Amino acid sequence: MNFEFMIKKALLFSLFIISSFILGGCWDQQEVNDLAFVTAAGIDKSEDGKVELTVLIFIPKGKSSQQGMEGGGGGGAADTLFRSAEGKTIADAMSTLQEKLPRHIFWGHCKVFIFDDDLAKEGLSTHVDFILRHPQLRERSRLFVSEEKAKDILSLIPPLERDISEVLKELSSFRIGMDVTAKDYAQMLIGDSNASALPLIKILPSTPGQEKQTIAYVTGTAIFKNGKMIGDIDDSVTRGVLWLRNEIRLATISVKPNGKNDGFVSMNLLRAKSKIIPLIENGKWKIKLYAVGNSNIVQNTTDLDLSSPEIIKPVEKQLKFEIKKRVNIALWEVQERMNADIFGFAEAFHQKYPKIWAKQKKRWDEIFPSVEVSFDTNIKIQNQGMNSVLSNHPLKGVENK
Amino acid sequence: MKRRREMKKLDFTHRLDISKSLDEEKTQILNENDALSSSLIENEKILKSIYQDCSDVVYRKFLIGRETQALLIYIEGMSNIEEMDKGVISPLIQLENVNLVNIQILLEEKLTVSKATPTSSFQDVIQQVSSGNPVILINRQIQGISVGLGKWEKRAVEEPMAESVVRGPREGFTETIAVNTTLIRRRIKSPQLKIKKMNIGRYSQTQVAILYIDGLADKSLIEEVNNRLGRIKIDGIMESGYIEEFIEDNPFSPFPQILNTERPDIASASLLEGRVVIMVDGTPFSLIVPTTLYSLLQSAEDYYQRAIIGTLIRWLRYSFFLIALLLPSSYVAILTFHQEMVPTTLLLSVAKSREEVPFPALIEALIMEVTFEALREAGIRLPKQVGSAVSIVGALVIGQAAVSSGLVSAPMVMVVAITGIASFSIPRYNAAIALRMLRFPIMFLAGTLGLLGIMLSLIAIIVHLSTLRSFGVPYLSPMAPMQYSEMKDVLLRAPWWSLKTRPHLTGAYNQYRQTNGQNPKPPKDSE
Repeated sequence: MNFEFMIKKALLFSLFIISSFILGGCWDQQEVNDLAFVTAAGIDKSEDGKVELTVLIFIPKGKSSQQGMEGGGGGGAADTLFRSAEGKTIADAMSTLQEKLPRHIFWGHCKVFIFDDDLAKEGLSTHVDFILRHPQLRERSRLFVSEEKAKDILSLIPPLERDISEVLKELSSFRIGMDVTAKDYAQMLIGDSNASALPLIKILPSTPGQEKQTIAYVTGTAIFKNGKMIGDIDDSVTRGVLWLRNEIRLATISVKPNGKNDGFVSMNLLRAKSKIIPLIENGKWKIKLYAVGNSNIVQNTTDLDLSSPEIIKPVEKQLKFEIKKRVNIALWEVQERMNADIFGFAEAFHQKYPKIWAKQKKRWDEIFPSVEVSFDTNIKIQNQGMNSVLSNHPLKGVENK
Repeated sequence: MKRRREMKKLDFTHRLDISKSLDEEKTQILNENDALSSSLIENEKILKSIYQDCSDVVYRKFLIGRETQALLIYIEGMSNIEEMDKGVISPLIQLENVNLVNIQILLEEKLTVSKATPTSSFQDVIQQVSSGNPVILINRQIQGISVGLGKWEKRAVEEPMAESVVRGPREGFTETIAVNTTLIRRRIKSPQLKIKKMNIGRYSQTQVAILYIDGLADKSLIEEVNNRLGRIKIDGIMESGYIEEFIEDNPFSPFPQILNTERPDIASASLLEGRVVIMVDGTPFSLIVPTTLYSLLQSAEDYYQRAIIGTLIRWLRYSFFLIALLLPSSYVAILTFHQEMVPTTLLLSVAKSREEVPFPALIEALIMEVTFEALREAGIRLPKQVGSAVSIVGALVIGQAAVSSGLVSAPMVMVVAITGIASFSIPRYNAAIALRMLRFPIMFLAGTLGLLGIMLSLIAIIVHLSTLRSFGVPYLSPMAPMQYSEMKDVLLRAPWWSLKTRPHLTGAYNQYRQTNGQNPKPPKDSE
């Protein structure tokens, strides 16, 4: 009797529980089949002050299914389609876009946002607001500025990767250029310096006849001041910027050792680290760039015997000089020409001299161009590579031994 | 409404009937409690009425020393007849001195069998006869003699089927309790090993033995086991599972609170940890109390292989325990609620394979899981010759056809397969069943509430586990309540020389297994 009563009670109880799930549980349930996964999005400026949102959507068709050309915006790749819609804001454009898509737009996997430079010149902070505010969007998605229309870039069919978002993600993870996520960008926007930078991308010229079969790649950096793009610097100048921002990871530096005009010594950088140390002396604002690292020699086209320390020394000196030269070019372009503090000098001063900073921060635009930068670099040549024989005089190397 | 009440009334009267019939039976049994009378004819009559219509009972009348009537009663096929001819009947028939016809004298001087005891009541006689021991009743004697010559066909000691090991003893318990206690006694030779026997079951009279080591097992534990076993009133016991359900602490928990094993080495090791082993005649599975969750996740081989491997395998098992419980539900939850959690490339390939599947992920998972469970069940029950056919069909249905017909996505097949393997990797079958069962409600919760549902069900399971007790020992011990010193046998499998103490909740009476400092080390240089 007791047992039957218990079973009745349990049945009733479980009925309540089950119905509570069915009544209230599934409201935000979304099957994978009902979602349109956005892998990349591009935002362009359109004529009448509106923005045009283009999204790259993955088509989840199995390999056996036919791979049709779909999409309102033109031909898609094998398994992606792109569509665009205009609107007053990105959110507005997105809702228009949803009208043209049979599936829910799902932003959770959007890793790449591309803005065209016309839009960037008007300012991006209002658009980045959408990326940071929308619950599905990731703060870790990467931002790019393109010289061409973002729509054109999204229509490319990368020959090696799944789609353009994968290409850009992988390329920026090499840290050859800047690598800026939405979160980084937001931090730059609220930072002391009032300047920010985003990687600049361009379409790689393709082989004739296969115009769409190419990728976009990072060619430099777009410099922003007060939220608006004021100019850009190229690839090699960006390297200098990366030294100042402690973002250098992968670098191959070729130097001409002293007195030798007939060849290069190329080195790969390993474990480079840099740090900027601010200093205010007699009212003069100074920055010291402190950089340490090791490098490996990967090629030697001179007739120097790099296994001897006496010869390595001047090469190291030359290496330091080369780095200094790169940084100086960056400083000249960005500090003097554009007066945009994308190196983080302002934060450094703020942290070290909070009181002085509080008084002077309004004058930062005047102070910044006159900040003197000195160098304390200590890059060592750690390893002369696997080849101990001289490259252009192999026999001589052997005889010396 | 009225009808229902009437029905209830009927129900009640029906129950009354049952209790009445129980009473009647009792009175009949009470009759058997009577002492044997001195008249052989009287005794024979009563026994024949008790064993009415039992064609397998043999009555053999003979004369002792050509004068005294005697009656031999045994059940055909349960006694060693040759021994009886040699050791009992021939010495009695050839007896010359009739004055010697006295139970004590016969026992001491004439019967050349090793086990013979006097019996004085009908109940005794019946019990002895029923368990295969022939009984001799002699005229003008108020006692009979039961001869311990019970012998029947039994299975040889074989390798245990359900708990196989690569390294370890190959012996397993059999259906005969005497063999089983011998297997333990051969491992623990100390007289401290106590074996108490009792009979349970009104009809079956099943022998149940309680084994423990005196001085190791908690006295109150032994008493509790005795009490709980003593309370069982049932008509028959076919397997130790009957007893398990009568004596476990929480009968409605999916988790088994009593360990069963058919390996004498596991039973002996448990005895040495201060646990109590309950053996039941007629089944190779003996019960071990108390039990904790962690002992369900341990295999005998953990202690026979090298310690490091033992530790790794234990961790493998713990993680597969979680996989067996949570993998399908996590898959469902993530795919229906938390698509942003999956790495992009993985999600895109899952989306590709799910594109043509008509069902939501929850239904898909349920279909596959139920099919898999059915296949597994079919594989166990079917005769071996048909079993292979089932597995071929199952592999095809589950693996190939379901995917190519577009009913189920390939990742789901993977998930179900991994879950299946995970639940096979749990060494105790009944623990694996618990997980199999719990998987389904968790899957429902995952399909309706997402990861929140999984968390809720996990919390519920953990709360439930921590309320469970097995014979007074918390089920999650030594993890909750935390006993750091015992982690060496839960999180790790420490080498034997460092497992110095017994688990403290069962072995507190005699804490130390071994002496200190036995770890192998180079000998000290003696000057």
